[in-house]
Amino acid sequence: MAAKSVIELWLWGGPSQLETFDPKPDAPPDYNNGLKAIDTVVPGMMVHEWWPNLAKCTNLCSFIRSMTHPHFGHETATYLMQTGRNPGSGDVYPAIGAVVAMMKAKAYSGDLPPFVILTGAKGRFSEVGFLGDQYAPLVTGGNPNASKFVVEGFVSPGGLSQREIDRRFDLLARMDIFGRTGAFAEFDEAGKKARHVIEGGAARTFDLSQEPDAVRDRYGRTWIGQSLLAARRLVEYGVPYVTVNMSGWDSHKRHFETMRQRTSETDKAVAALLCDLHERKLLNQTLLWVSGEFGRTTKIDRNPPWNGGRGHYPRCFSALVAGGGFRGGCMVGESDATASRVVKRPVSPVDFLGSIYELCGIDPDGPMPNPAGKKVSVLPSGAPAGRLREIYA
Amino acid sequence: MTKAGIRFDVSRRSFIGGTAAFAGLPLFGVTGDKDGNAETRKPAAPWETPSGDASPAVLVRRLFLDLAGRIPRVEEAKEYVNAWDGLSRRKLVERLLASDAFADYWSMRFCDILRVKSEFPINLWPNAVYVYHRRIRLFVQNDEPWDAFMRALLSATGSNFRDAEVNFFRATARRTPEGLAESAVRTFLGEEYADLPPAEQERYAGYFRCVRMKPTREWKEEIVYLDPSDPSGLTPAAFADFLLGPARNRFAAAFVRRVDGWMLGLEKPDPAHVKIFKENGFRLKPLVRAIACSGRYGRGSVTGGFPCRRIDAEVLDDMLCDLTGAKRDYQSIAPEPFTFLPPERRSVLIEDGSITSAFLLLFGRPSRDTGRLSERHNEVTAKQRLFLYNSGQLYQRLSRITENKAFRNRAMRNVVQDLYWRFLSRPATHPEMEMLLAHFHSLPKGKEKWRFPRDVAWALLNTREFLYQH
Repeated sequence: MAAKSVIELWLWGGPSQLETFDPKPDAPPDYNNGLKAIDTVVPGMMVHEWWPNLAKCTNLCSFIRSMTHPHFGHETATYLMQTGRNPGSGDVYPAIGAVVAMMKAKAYSGDLPPFVILTGAKGRFSEVGFLGDQYAPLVTGGNPNASKFVVEGFVSPGGLSQREIDRRFDLLARMDIFGRTGAFAEFDEAGKKARHVIEGGAARTFDLSQEPDAVRDRYGRTWIGQSLLAARRLVEYGVPYVTVNMSGWDSHKRHFETMRQRTSETDKAVAALLCDLHERKLLNQTLLWVSGEFGRTTKIDRNPPWNGGRGHYPRCFSALVAGGGFRGGCMVGESDATASRVVKRPVSPVDFLGSIYELCGIDPDGPMPNPAGKKVSVLPSGAPAGRLREIYA
Repeated sequence: MTKAGIRFDVSRRSFIGGTAAFAGLPLFGVTGDKDGNAETRKPAAPWETPSGDASPAVLVRRLFLDLAGRIPRVEEAKEYVNAWDGLSRRKLVERLLASDAFADYWSMRFCDILRVKSEFPINLWPNAVYVYHRRIRLFVQNDEPWDAFMRALLSATGSNFRDAEVNFFRATARRTPEGLAESAVRTFLGEEYADLPPAEQERYAGYFRCVRMKPTREWKEEIVYLDPSDPSGLTPAAFADFLLGPARNRFAAAFVRRVDGWMLGLEKPDPAHVKIFKENGFRLKPLVRAIACSGRYGRGSVTGGFPCRRIDAEVLDDMLCDLTGAKRDYQSIAPEPFTFLPPERRSVLIEDGSITSAFLLLFGRPSRDTGRLSERHNEVTAKQRLFLYNSGQLYQRLSRITENKAFRNRAMRNVVQDLYWRFLSRPATHPEMEMLLAHFHSLPKGKEKWRFPRDVAWALLNTREFLYQH
């Protein structure tokens, strides 16, 4: 059975492979800063010591430790990791979220848009690429960790009763008399759909106060914790693709202070999401992937102005995948003693995305409909052998 | 010189009504009564005269939107509507053409075509964006001839920070001879390079084989230069000669096609307009003036055949901010370094296509990745309507208008009238006023009565009449 929904946790800026899923406790301190790795519930599958919660559920997820590509710049690397295409073709391809939203549009009949981003867009390129506005993501804005998660347009201003809402729409119908007789079909159709959302219950998906306190605490009362909780509610509702864009991983300076804080919040939130999806029997149909656009240089730069920082590094980095047809408790690929080079089973962004598409029931080599009518496939024709089939369930 | 099989650069089909109506076919005839029954053959007051010409109120709004990128303020609309005589239109057109707002708004349009954007995939970088934008704005403001500007862009060499025109070459996702030719063909001929026969593609790419770029020691500075050792002996300047020589008609028609598209929703350039453009030395303002003063531009959009278009994202953002006194919040992780714009900055004036907001994305601002007109999305989507129906921020801001002093203690009739002028640039008609007052009197005392002005404002901004340029 194909995965029904995808949750993408995008770690903006490029998280260090060493302080995440490919720790090197035996490397010199110039590489690991003297920090350790810890055992997890899966023997031999170690994580960095800053991921104690994830250590308890590695049986539910798998690590790719041999991600690799050649782009050192954020925008070009992000573009490749999101679209599977090298930049410079003159066209801007859509990100995987928009493609999945388009391909799954027929099977999805919910009132929420098929592609939702919590809470801000990637910004450096347009996720929808050359696809029409129809598949552009709903970018929620707001803060899921605030007392009320306000999603402009969906979470309505408080205090209006149904009677008052009806009255307002009645007023509007009498005032909106310009150019009647069906000329504005697109406008009218959009208005009907919008009103349906207002009157149906779909927008309540964003209402995190409906979750018990214990559940909210489990994810952590942080932006990332509550964003992943919101993501779970969205896939439970049926939304095919949810992206959580988490910034703050571009740690040129103050690397270890930054990573300590980011990992502690993210560890708690990701572990909670995995266990929660598992307990709700949603993990089989929900694919989770966690990665940034690249990893980081492995030798710590102690010179000014970096004073203990790590630079951009795409040649070897790590990603996490879970659910949706991926087995848990596996490791794909291997890096060398300092996580600087891939020594076994390199995985390219095209292989990686190809696997996600395949598990979603989308043929990566199949045609991608596009408004210009060009003949293009979902991904550039690659070697299917590179896909992560060894960890498909 | 139109060739078969070549796609021209045209806007998405987001116009309603339009060209067919000029043949005398009433596309969507007439207004309806409140039950939606067509009132046949009645003039579409308050929008049109019996003969199908736009009313002064419609025309003043249309001219402001097209020439200044905003709707008129109440006093501007009233002045035009109340003091209307045969000469008012020409006078207003002259005033708007000379205004800064014209230069701002039309610069935005040319920046879309010329791909002014600091980040991926154009990568002009911030300093270069500002000099390039300023150069383009000077072109519009001073009404420089398009052919001279084109030649300046194609002959430029030097630093991207100091020689603004070189950014034309840099503003392309593919900095190869083919990529540069593709951009130049799209920009100046409005044609798709990929559709041209291979021999022609090769010929055009040949003009750009000598273009080189190299970095300097200054962060993100680049020098564009021509390689003298290139064996072809051709330069981009020779492509300019070609555009003004054998391709002169295509070059002129491509420019007029865009202006006709923006102002009249046409897909093909009107030959009469091409003639005017050429006779006036390839200048923008005489062309805009001729269109804005024409009989065709003065037609109504209900029965007269003038096409309606959903208002551009940036313009709509500015309109809502002007009406509600709201402040914007532009913070952007791209371009680097992080960008913060002052809240009073108008959206139309944002130089950099990489700087955006959720509102501008929602309403289809172009990405400026390729410079195609179709990058701008003026469709109406459910997400947009949901935002306008239901945004908490917007609703709160509306209460700021209707609860301010100017509105308190005024007769409801005056309040309604004022809101109509602000949002629709016209007075409420007699039936509208009677309907609204009857509605007001039927409300129970208390909250709902008190909220009535805000609900009227809410309804006005959700009408077609407000959201469309008509």
